[in-house]
Formats: sequence, structure tokens, C-alpha cells
Amino acid sequence: MNALQFGSFYALIALGYTLVYGVLRLINFAHGDIFMVGAYIAYFVAVLLLGGEGMSGLGLSPGLTLAITVPATMILTSLVGVALERTMYRPLRRKGADRLYVVITALMAGLMLENGNLALLGASRKSFPELLQKVIWTFGSVSVTNLKVIVIVAALLVFVLLEFIVTKTKIGMAMRGISYDKFAIPLMGIPLDTIIVFTFILGSSMAGLAGILFAMSYPILEPYMGALIGWKAFIAAVVGGIGDIRGAIVGGFLLGFIEIGVVAVFPSTLRDLFAFSVLLGILWLKPTGLFGVAKTTKI
Amino acid sequence: MNTLLEVKNLKVRYGNIEALHGISFDVKEGEIVTLIGANGAGKSTTLLSICRLPPPEAPRVIEGDILFKGQSILNLPPHKIVSDLNMALVPEGRRIFGNLTVEENLKLATYARTDGHEAIERDFERVFTLFARLAERKKQRSESLSGGEQQMLAVGRALMSKCSFIMLDEPSMGLAPLLMYDMFRTLKVLNAEGMTILLIEQNANLALRFAHRGYVLDTGEIVAQGTSEELLADPEVKKAYLGG
Repeated sequence: MNALQFGSFYALIALGYTLVYGVLRLINFAHGDIFMVGAYIAYFVAVLLLGGEGMSGLGLSPGLTLAITVPATMILTSLVGVALERTMYRPLRRKGADRLYVVITALMAGLMLENGNLALLGASRKSFPELLQKVIWTFGSVSVTNLKVIVIVAALLVFVLLEFIVTKTKIGMAMRGISYDKFAIPLMGIPLDTIIVFTFILGSSMAGLAGILFAMSYPILEPYMGALIGWKAFIAAVVGGIGDIRGAIVGGFLLGFIEIGVVAVFPSTLRDLFAFSVLLGILWLKPTGLFGVAKTTKI
Repeated sequence: MNTLLEVKNLKVRYGNIEALHGISFDVKEGEIVTLIGANGAGKSTTLLSICRLPPPEAPRVIEGDILFKGQSILNLPPHKIVSDLNMALVPEGRRIFGNLTVEENLKLATYARTDGHEAIERDFERVFTLFARLAERKKQRSESLSGGEQQMLAVGRALMSKCSFIMLDEPSMGLAPLLMYDMFRTLKVLNAEGMTILLIEQNANLALRFAHRGYVLDTGEIVAQGTSEELLADPEVKKAYLGG
């Protein structure tokens, strides 16, 4: 169950990488830090509603707080993603900048989010308030907490929703169209920037959701929490086949399973080394990732 | 006949290179007009200037104006030119979305339409009647289509966007003669139903036999114009573009 839970976090974040990459061919290296910002936003919204941490707050019940915090966090986090797109990526795109410069910009944007957070809130860690009464369910020899089930179900629901949007709706078709030939999109009467903003909204709100669920599972927040998990989710997306939604889910869960599997047998210090070695092996056998197809880039 | 499109003294630059040195021409409602000229004469540049594709491909207009029904469209964003003015461009190289199916390509072109499901369904039927091959290959990824079928899809896509004015950039390129004639016959049918057409062609002979009027473009300037009969009979045009 731990594997599934960790896999869910990786998968939710990997979805954001894969969406933006699938549409713009841009590796949004700031995405892991958007996840971190999501966790912090969740923290502030929750504290504001619940009270505590030296703030009087509105004194709402934990259940109601949770019900408001989830959508509020997703909306606010997606605004952060859209702000990055508007202020950093779009101007470069307008000037026809080479992809390398956009990727470097994304890296810098991520560092700015981390260090901005550090400057604003200091290095001290925040502890996330408990919003959900812990319940343990036991099925035979397996026992799980309600939170773990929620995390896993959330990841699967998000997957189904995104798969539907991308394959069945017109806006999803436009997203796929952009990935093939973005200059032909306006010829269809479609506003290019609107579709790109929509993509960032989807990806960032998933990161926000991952942020709040992660904060509930591991209630210690610090500015660099997004860096490592972001890198891991990115690698999971690549191993699954970046640009492919199923790939992000499979890659995320795969990484979760490998990590937990390694820890079950070896000392936990070997976890990342082993996990990445296995992923490297997969890429060695199939360089385009599990679901990836060799792409002939058009432009 | 009302003037639909009017290009006035248009000067256009790519970077530091002036590609059009002040050209003027117009297209009236219901007409077929053709721009002919050699490779590099500025034909595609003219169409891209009208549609103003986003960078890096956009040529920059530095002087002159482009009017649609008397209104300047220089400040309209590219997607609005398609969705609000019912113009469509079938670009050079067709630019279909190869990763989408035939049906998805057509559906995507209806993105900005607001006239309802039934009107769109009717247009689907019309496109599939005009191009039966597309109906057969509805569910196929469009990059697997042949060149001729891709050209049909590109025109079909324009029709799905509910255009009343269609601009075509070298539709005959890479097509076998038989398919080429088929395509032009279909375009004639569309014109008879009221579609205005601006055609760009290197194959001057074919273009002038198809169009009502024509303009001859040479290194960024219009060097001759007239009805198709006049141009076909013009000794200069004959010598330079019609192979004697």
C-alpha cells in the first residue's frame, strides 16, 4: 500500500510534466516546485480556516476545512502555474526562442520559487495541521489508513479525467494538435495561448492536489521538498514515455513499487540508488519510455 | 460585386529583408483570383501576411494595409481572422495534424464555431460527399494518408471551419495529375456554390485556366494583372510563365 501511495504522488506530479511536455515540448523544471508551493498554499489555507499556529483563524471544523482547502489549493496553485507561463515562458515563445532557453528559464523559475519561499518564510519547517481523523481499515492481513486510500483513488480519478479530456474533447484535440504543429492551430480559428494556459491550469492543479495530499501524509513542509520528489516524478514521466498520460501513471507507480521493494530487502540508504538503476535499465532497453513512440518532430 | 479582400501597397519584411515591395490587389466576392509567379516571388509571403501566423514564421508588415470588407485586419489576432471573418488558409505543405485521426482533424476545425451541432453535422456530410476517400479513412491517423488524401483533408478542414473565403497555397504540389484535376474540379464546385477563392500556384497554366482573374508576382512586385484570358494571351506572361 505504501508503494501505491508513493506511486500516486509521483504519478500526480508526473502528469503535470507530461501534459506540458506533450503540448509544448517544454520540460517544465519548475513543476516540482509548483508542487511545493501547492503544499504551502494548502498549509496557509488550512491554518487560516482552522486556526492554530499562532493564528486565530476562522475556527472551522477540520472536515469543512478539508472540503474548502482542496479546491482552493488547486485553484491557487494553478494560478501560480499560469503566472509562470505568462511572465516567463510566453514572452520567450513570442520571440521564437530556442527550446534550450525556455528549459533554462524553467529551471531558474523553480529555483526562484524555492528561494523566494525561503526568503519570505525562513528556513523553519511548517507542520501541517491534521484535517482528517485517521481510520485504519483491515482487509485480511493488509491494513490501510483512509488517507492512503484517498490518495490512490485521487490519482486514479485524475488519470481517468485527464485521459477523457485529452482524447475526447475538442480542447484535448487542440492540445494534441499543438504538439504536432503549433503554428497550424490558429488556422483552425483556435487561440493558441488559451489552450496553453489551459494546459498549465490542468498540470498545476494536479501538482496542487499532490501538494495537499502529500502534506496530509507527511505533515512537515520545507522549501526544498519539491526538488527531489519533482526530479523523481520527472524521471518517472520519462520512463513511462513523456508526453503520454498512461506513461506518467505507470511510471509513477513503477517508481513507487521499486522504492518500497528495495527498502523491504536492503537498507533504506540504498533506495534511490537502486530505484534509479532500475529505471536506467528500462530506458536502456527502451529509450523512448514504456509508452513512448519514436517521434519524428515536425518543426 | 463587393470587394472582399483588398491589399493596399503592402510592404513586408522578413528580418531585414524586404520580401514585398508594395503590392496591391483585390478579391471580389464569388471570384477565383490567382497569384502566379516563380519560386521566391513572394506568393506565400503574401498569404502569410494576410493570416499573420505567429512567429517565427510571421512576415512583418511595415507599410500598407490589408482590408477585409473595408475594415483593416492588421491588428486582429491570427485565430480571429479565421473564426470571425470566415477566412481559411490551406497552407503550403498542408500542415494537417498527423497525430490526429481524419475525423479529429475535421472536428478540430469546428472549434470556434457557434452555430450548433446540426450545422456541423451537415458540413461533415458535405465534406464526406465531396471527398469520399476521407469518409473511408475517418478513423485513420492522418499521417498515414497519401499526399492526395492529405490535400483533401486540408481543404475539408477549411470547409469545416465554415469559411466563405478560402486561400490555397500550391494545392497542386506533389499531386499526380489526375488527383490535381480532381481537386480543381472540386474547388470549381465550391466556387459555383458561392465560395470566394484566392489561389497561389506555380503552375501558371493550370491556375489561369481555373481562375477568373490573375496577378503576376515577380520578386516582390506585381508585374502584370488582368483577366485570365488577357494574361494567357499576354506575350510577356506567355514567355516567362507559360513555357513560350
